Amino acid sequence: MLRYTVKRLLQLAVALLGLSLLLFAWFKALPGGPENRMLPDNATDQQREALRQALGLDEPIWSQYGEFLSRMVHLDFGTSLSSGRPIGTELAERLPATIELSMWAIVIAVGIGIPLGYLAARRRGTWLDFGAVAGSLVGICIPVFFLAAMLKVVFAQELGWLPTTFRLSPGLTYTEITGLRVLDGLLTGEFDVVWDAARHLMLPAIALASIPLAVIVRITRASVLEVVGEDYVRTADAKGLKQTTIRGRHIMKNAMLPIVTVIGLLLGSLFAGAVLTESVFAFGGIGSFVYQATTERDYPALMGFILVIAVSYVVLNLIVDLSYGFLDPRVRVRK
Amino acid sequence: MALLEVEDLRIAFGSSTVVDGVSFHVDESQVVSLVGESGCGKSVTSLAIMGLLPKLRKSGRGGGAAVSGRAVFDGVDLFGLSADQMRRRRGADLAMVFQDPLSSLNPVVPIGRQITEVLERHRGLRGEAARKEAENLLDRVGIPDPRRRLGEYPHQLSGGMRQRVLIAIAVACAPRLLIADEPTTALDVTIQAQILELLKDLVDAEGTALLMITHDLGVVAGMCNVVNVLYSGRVVESSSASRLFAEPTHPYTVGLLGSIPRLDLPIHEPLKPIRGSIADVIRWGDGCAFAPRCDLVGAECVAGEPMLKGEAHAHRCVKAEEIA
Repeated sequence: MLRYTVKRLLQLAVALLGLSLLLFAWFKALPGGPENRMLPDNATDQQREALRQALGLDEPIWSQYGEFLSRMVHLDFGTSLSSGRPIGTELAERLPATIELSMWAIVIAVGIGIPLGYLAARRRGTWLDFGAVAGSLVGICIPVFFLAAMLKVVFAQELGWLPTTFRLSPGLTYTEITGLRVLDGLLTGEFDVVWDAARHLMLPAIALASIPLAVIVRITRASVLEVVGEDYVRTADAKGLKQTTIRGRHIMKNAMLPIVTVIGLLLGSLFAGAVLTESVFAFGGIGSFVYQATTERDYPALMGFILVIAVSYVVLNLIVDLSYGFLDPRVRVRK
Repeated sequence: MALLEVEDLRIAFGSSTVVDGVSFHVDESQVVSLVGESGCGKSVTSLAIMGLLPKLRKSGRGGGAAVSGRAVFDGVDLFGLSADQMRRRRGADLAMVFQDPLSSLNPVVPIGRQITEVLERHRGLRGEAARKEAENLLDRVGIPDPRRRLGEYPHQLSGGMRQRVLIAIAVACAPRLLIADEPTTALDVTIQAQILELLKDLVDAEGTALLMITHDLGVVAGMCNVVNVLYSGRVVESSSASRLFAEPTHPYTVGLLGSIPRLDLPIHEPLKPIRGSIADVIRWGDGCAFAPRCDLVGAECVAGEPMLKGEAHAHRCVKAEEIA
């Protein structure tokens, strides 16, 4: 297992290096060059040259790449063109909101999707199976931004059951520890914050969970159907084991392998969905930041965003791979 | 009294009947075999006794098996038990060894756990006590260095070892009846002999009754007391092993024996295979189901349903006297 972990970590380093090369190339390929954006149109050639030297743009390309790498490693992404604040700070402020939203979305998707997919498989051909399959098809088909807007209109604006925007009601005092507000509320014992934050999270989390939920239901159903027909499940039955043991140890432990892989892939698309959901609910996460950066062509901000998303994607998939090794001994020992 | 008495067992999947009134019995400490080619209904019979066939849904859809007849084990009809009652007996009173040892073991659970879970369930052993017992079991089935093996996974073991593990699981709770469904089919010939030897030793030592499902008459000759030859879902010949080999009565049994290579025959003597293959649909009502493949077939063979005749050595052939 240790060998496997070390190998995966080395692969992670290679992936990140490749990513930095791509980002650097993209930054270099942008038309215009930063000195043109930073100086007024009537600047002289001497002024431009002076700025290029100050920015290190006259140095050889490999030393510029080295400089770029060192800045990335130190989480120095430069200053946002639109707000004028350091991008690292902007991201750090907004990241917890996105993490909290995505976390709840994936908790909903996994918490409902796996049991529902299992039940659909075990009661194949019943109304429950049919409902789960049809429902997941609908879930995949509805675009996130549309679902988010619909949920907001129906449950927040018309029925008034839940808040329409933001992460907390105005005027509520809140002590920040991790930035994940439900968790912080639980840690500090501020249960009014827990309740309020949960109410604000509910609609965006449901909207964001819809596609992963649908995919997880489908993949769980297919995976369980396959495993149930395996000889070792019959062996478990022949041993007279309790049904709960057969379900957990013999069916689900094997059925989890493809499900875990799919969850890893879904996490990537979750960030894309978060951008849309957050802007509908003015959630104040990284999503609304990137939305703003895109519309205002704030390239350094976008680059910081891409880096953060890419790194978290790579790290999350590393975790998925490691859990794969944990679940399947055959992965662990393969040389 | 017989330990297991199967009476008039019928099994149907949808409209196709695969077992059509099979009766046989297994006495205490006896080794009994069900012999026949693929599709004769021998495996389905064993699964029905174990209660492992997919249940028929109330709607009738979903491919479940309709089972009728009786399987009286130790005075209790197994088919009359609830699913839960049957669950408590499986693995404890009656256990089963399957054909393919790789696919029959869970690939992601250490073999130690796959043994201890059955000890936990039926014998209440937990923790170190269960591990100790699992180690003893592995030792009993001839696996060297059992303590280390407990933590290993099925893919780390050879085919023969895996089958030994399956046997260890089956005998873990000292069952009174062990059903072995083609236990050596997936193994090398040299390993086959070892596994049969092991099974024989275990049932001899414990006085366990063994129901051996096989297509291999060599296996039967080596270890069984009583043989039931199945064809197309019915018993066509039933007798003690020694009498069956000495005086096979049904043409199908004769055919099976004739298709085995023998060392005492001249080198270039060709084997005599049974021509044709088993039919998909069973038709015993209009006459003998084996008639289309039989060399001795006559008008009387297809003039009605042949009955099982005889007591100690029973057969289902109207021309049996001619053969004898």
